[in-house]
Amino acid sequence: MSSRTSPAAPRLRTITARSLREQRSSLVGWAGGLIVFCLVMLAVYPTIHGNANFGDLINAYPEPLRKIFQLEDYTTGAGYLRTEVFSFVAPLLLTLFAVLWGSDLVAGEEERRTVDVLLATPVSRRRVVIQKWLALLVGVTALGVLMELALGLLGPAFQLHVSWAALSAAVVGSWLFALAFGTLGLAVGAATGRRGLARGLATTLALASYLVATLSVLVSWLQPARNFSLWQHTMSVDPLGTGFHYWHLSIVALVTLAFLAWALWAYDRRDLAT
Amino acid sequence: MLQASVLHSESPPAQPVVQIDGVTKLYRGGGGVRALSLRIEPGEVFGFLGPNGAGKTTTIRLLLDLIRPSAGSIRIFGLDSRRDSVAIRRRVGYLPGDLALYERLSAREVLGHLAHLRGNVPWSEVTDLAEQLDLELQRPIRTLSRGNRQKVGIVAALMGRPELLVLDEPTSGLDPLIQRQVHDVLRAATSQGRSVFLSSHVLSEVAEVADRVGLIRAGELATVERVAELRQRAAHLIDVRYEHEPDRETLVRLPGVQRCVIEGHEAHLEVAGDLRGVVGAIAASDMTDLSVREPTLEELFLAFYDRVESH
Repeated sequence: MSSRTSPAAPRLRTITARSLREQRSSLVGWAGGLIVFCLVMLAVYPTIHGNANFGDLINAYPEPLRKIFQLEDYTTGAGYLRTEVFSFVAPLLLTLFAVLWGSDLVAGEEERRTVDVLLATPVSRRRVVIQKWLALLVGVTALGVLMELALGLLGPAFQLHVSWAALSAAVVGSWLFALAFGTLGLAVGAATGRRGLARGLATTLALASYLVATLSVLVSWLQPARNFSLWQHTMSVDPLGTGFHYWHLSIVALVTLAFLAWALWAYDRRDLAT
Repeated sequence: MLQASVLHSESPPAQPVVQIDGVTKLYRGGGGVRALSLRIEPGEVFGFLGPNGAGKTTTIRLLLDLIRPSAGSIRIFGLDSRRDSVAIRRRVGYLPGDLALYERLSAREVLGHLAHLRGNVPWSEVTDLAEQLDLELQRPIRTLSRGNRQKVGIVAALMGRPELLVLDEPTSGLDPLIQRQVHDVLRAATSQGRSVFLSSHVLSEVAEVADRVGLIRAGELATVERVAELRQRAAHLIDVRYEHEPDRETLVRLPGVQRCVIEGHEAHLEVAGDLRGVVGAIAASDMTDLSVREPTLEELFLAFYDRVESH
């Protein structure tokens, strides 16, 4: 019967802090995976860099393929990153993380029924949603920063040189795309309490967004639809080559805030964990 | 009765802690509550008794604003259960029936987090409660037994000394030793004048702590009674074994005997009210064995409905 508790109260003051703490091992896993991905992509670069045969190889691809995968100046640092990292895998990796976690943040608490002890405390449902979204923001931002640092700091060791400004524009585009669909996952979860539905819907719409934007380069009837694609406003504008497009980014930011507003409204008016 | 009315005229009409008026909440798959009304007075321990699926948890989750009524109104401390939910929850401690906690955190982290969200909870209060319940705080929730999880939930409900405790089946599924620990802690909490809304499907638990009890079945409040009266009216079941075959007529004439079945040397009696007369008469006979048992919840309901029908 010795004293088994330390005198001070544990930290975890906010729902944000607690949600991050709960996901600690998952966050570490994602961070590790992301660094490995960046290293692998960088390690391949020296064999391609300055190899004239690759230029011939790319020119031999049909034009539609070159357009979809943005296969241009493959042998420069920025060109390589655009094609191999930011044309598909890196933004969608971040998005997958954001959707999986966003869908779980509100709906998971309900599916696991911990929402009862949480809302036994004097916190409003709106505060729950806001703090959950802040956790998503912190998580996605942390992975974005890590990606930027991994590529920017380790790149030169593999002869890959790219300006911080260009890299930042590409990372911010990926980050915002991921945040938008993570917020959608959170909102569907808040509106329905169903994690699977939130995950499925947000993933499907993210992929549709990617496909509409990239295929509209080739398919003329898709072109009117591409303005509704968030990929169009983040990645199709070629941030690596042309930098920040504030007008496009603010559209995506507004859509993200609209998803959040929907989450706040829907969560407040619903029966929870019935 | 006279005493009650005298008391009432002397004290000012206190605002009820909980006032439920004609609340309905039905689910598509069945279940829920229908036109439920009840009041809990300050300092009262109210037992909410009914079989599983009768609507106890629905009622409790309506109080906490986790679900909303489709008709009727709920006021707690005179405040609207929905509009003033945050202000109400500041003064309410809640133990969910289907308690779930953050599996990846330790008990200490969970309670620390909930204490922060509640605000103004000295950590020493949490550690004191944990010590009273013999609860190890350092261990992760996922390694805790059912009983220890329930203890974490009870500490969470009691922290901050809320004016109203809402407890959904607080000892269901716990072993008797832990049940006693929990009852002791709850008794200490109620002795400080707090109001308690306690649901249970076990009569003995409610009888042990409650002043009044509401019986709920199939979503409807069947009756609200004082525990003492309920117990008195409810029949006890007495099984007696005799050396010789007993005389039915003699037994039926004993005070309070409502039913009597003879099986060889055994008699099975259903006795309402005071048992002294019956037990005294049996003890004076040639009986060899005697057992008295409490009515089960179902038997209690039958006794209630029998009474309603006979009136």
